[in-house]
Amino acid sequence: MDLNYTAEDTAFRKKVRAWLEQNLPRTPIRTLDERRAWHRKLCEAGYLGMGWPKAYGGGDARPMEQAIVADELARACAPAPTNALGLGIVGPTIVVHGTEAQKKRYLRKILMAEELWCQLYSEPNAGSDLAALRASAEDRGDHFIVNGQKTWTSAGSIADWGLLLARTDPAVAKHKGITCLLMNMRQPGVEVRPLKQITGSSEFSEVFMTNARVEKSDQVGRLGEGWAIAQTTLGYERGGRALARITSYASQYGRLVEAARRIRRHGRPLVDDPIIRQKLGRIWAELEVERYGALRMLTLLERGEHPGAGGSLSKLSYSEFEKRFMELAMEILGPYGQLTEGAPEELRLEIDTAVGEQGTWAYAFLWSRAGTIYAGSSEIQKNVIGERILGLPKETRADRVGGAR
Amino acid sequence: MNFSFSEDQVLLRNSVRAFLDEQCKPAHVRAMMHDPRGYDPGLWSEMAKLGWLGLPFPEKHGGAGLGMVELAIAIEELGRAAYPGPYLPSVVLGGVGLLLGGSGGQKDTWLPAIASGEKRATAALIEETLDWDPASTTATAVRSGDGWKVSGLKRFVPWAHVADVVLVPARGPEGLSLFLVDPRQAGVTLSRMVGIDLGSRWSELRLENVGVGANAVVGQPGGAGPLLEALLRRAAVCASAEMLGAARRCVDMSVEYAKVREQFGQPIGSFQAIRHRCAEMLLETENSHSAVYYAAWALEAGAEDAAVAASICKSYVSESARRACGDAIQVHGGIGFTWEYDLHLYMKRAKALEPLFGDAEFHRELVARHVAGAR
Ligand SMILES: Cc1cc2nc3c(=O)[nH]c(=O)nc-3n(C[C@H](O)[C@H](O)[C@H](O)COP(=O)(O)OP(=O)(O)OC[C@H]3O[C@@H](n4cnc5c(N)ncnc54)[C@H](O)[C@@H]3O)c2cc1C
Repeated sequence: MDLNYTAEDTAFRKKVRAWLEQNLPRTPIRTLDERRAWHRKLCEAGYLGMGWPKAYGGGDARPMEQAIVADELARACAPAPTNALGLGIVGPTIVVHGTEAQKKRYLRKILMAEELWCQLYSEPNAGSDLAALRASAEDRGDHFIVNGQKTWTSAGSIADWGLLLARTDPAVAKHKGITCLLMNMRQPGVEVRPLKQITGSSEFSEVFMTNARVEKSDQVGRLGEGWAIAQTTLGYERGGRALARITSYASQYGRLVEAARRIRRHGRPLVDDPIIRQKLGRIWAELEVERYGALRMLTLLERGEHPGAGGSLSKLSYSEFEKRFMELAMEILGPYGQLTEGAPEELRLEIDTAVGEQGTWAYAFLWSRAGTIYAGSSEIQKNVIGERILGLPKETRADRVGGAR
Repeated sequence: MNFSFSEDQVLLRNSVRAFLDEQCKPAHVRAMMHDPRGYDPGLWSEMAKLGWLGLPFPEKHGGAGLGMVELAIAIEELGRAAYPGPYLPSVVLGGVGLLLGGSGGQKDTWLPAIASGEKRATAALIEETLDWDPASTTATAVRSGDGWKVSGLKRFVPWAHVADVVLVPARGPEGLSLFLVDPRQAGVTLSRMVGIDLGSRWSELRLENVGVGANAVVGQPGGAGPLLEALLRRAAVCASAEMLGAARRCVDMSVEYAKVREQFGQPIGSFQAIRHRCAEMLLETENSHSAVYYAAWALEAGAEDAAVAASICKSYVSESARRACGDAIQVHGGIGFTWEYDLHLYMKRAKALEPLFGDAEFHRELVARHVAGAR
């Protein structure tokens, strides 16, 4: 065990930090174009798609280097790049499963945010039970015709392309007969209707597909193997990014302590109240434990190991922590916590919310409810941990008893 | 950066575990509950021969020259076996205490004797106020000849009844000092304190004008504060490692049980209420592992955040281990509540260690001081 960073990694971190000092946007990002410009700058510096192969614009970087960049961005409270799903999910999927032509056609444009992407998996009746999806893709020789509805599509309203899971064979068992496709969102048969979230903003949408067209050349992997591809894709959502998450929690925490110093109750600063101190101490302890966990995960990734079901432990841990953190932050801040406007200056949270607005505690609190739902809810993660790590017996479920549908 | 154990560390863990699986079965733990000494000297000298009683001491003092991480690894295994014996008091409170602050002569005298198992040590870190902050010490030391006379009342002194020497903090003319006291000498009264964990032993230690010589001071007279804080941190992390071991045993037992116990025609582990509880137990135990080994490494490496990492560790593990052990009883149902079933051995060990060397609240306050400043 040696938890010191190597000299090489420390030097790399310094370099990234220096770059950020020079290049960080000085004014808040307000428009999609401004965000795209920031994205390109990061990309040109080699700080996006770092793990992708060099041949497609990536950097062949080690997990540690990727983690350091993400960590430094978080430390600097840098605005997020755009195209999160393109970078995080679609790109890696194409790198692993795509044809040479697909790699040439799509990867660089994802990197440069020339084309923005979304993920078209969930449907109104296929959430946790994703394999129950119904959207269909009919084989028409050189292309597919797609019909159906997707929902909770993040970035759906700005996306140019979507990574789609659709049923190509309704006659076989539900996990079979699903195919992974790349669908152009800018075509007549695709209608996107933004949904308003509990935060008041609209980062996800419903997507209606009526005789939409997908070329055969845009099929990823083999026919009927979309489920297996989706399984590997979901793995990309975890891992090395955990460290950066923890670092941004840490800067939020710094603001919280700051606020607790300035807010006074019963004539003394909140931070002097023993109950508040217990809460502050608890959050910091838990936050640090999450950081240790992220370092453990990085050790695995650096050794070239796939976290497998261990990724579920990590995701469950930090998403549940985030919820507890924000609940305690709300308790500490009292009536100020849930303000969305008009809060005193010291209560501002200088965290980029990825929607081009300065964050508020209220927003962060509401947003913390998402992490335990998306990318596999906490309940689903616990099922995975129970079955795959602890080897506990599977539950009897209708879909496992029945088989074909 | 590398958060995984080295091959040697894995080897150490495996050999301690294999030894305890063989030598410290639950039947042994139960037998020792009724033993006047509370531990088996035969086993003790076996452990000495294997080098475990001097794990963190330098080789020149008869030790193995290893560090806090190895110490935590060994102690985690002791917790996993609910080992009954004065390991933590002797090796950590006494041995590491002397290692941190003892003079050359004190180390020459005590460390080889502790490592060889011949002598046992402990420390009396808490008084009636139940405040773990060394600054709260009220025991007194007054000058007498070229030595001192020490008086005071100490509580929860682990394994003092089998100790040859006790590290006793007391306030003298120079300030807070640490003294070596022989618990069998005149003026010392030991009375037994019995808790739910019959595998650990405690005493109340009363000192009335106990005479100690000039060479009985550990470190500088008046300079014991930082030394005691450093010792408390190490003890807190080691106690956390022991709680972690107990918690892991409870998780393992629960998972095994959930696979075989059937109700409603199915193994109970197929019910989500049980499976999810097991998953949560595993999650918190893995997090505790991170907390223990991060802190152990940080203390060993002298990392900047070592002190706060120790408090983070103790505050986190105190609660998570208690929960894991308690949840294990729930998973087991009625059988988990019986004396015959072994679960309670581990559950009680974790519970007994929870307030020792500062409970979660105490350490959260230290964490808060670190991040939000002094009050
Ligand atoms: C902010 C946000 C962004 C999202 N972005 C996208 C996106 O870009 N693309 C996309 O495809 N999807 C996206 N999703 C959808 C997300 O993946 C689903 O919401 C998620 O998989 C849960 O499905 P559901 O909402 O249908 O809930 P359900 O599956 O109906 O679950 C409801 C409740 O039942 C529980 N439950 C379900 N099955 C089980 C079980 N077997 N055992 C125990 N409990 C169970 C769940 O844990 C949950 O508590 C997003 C969701 C959110 C909140």
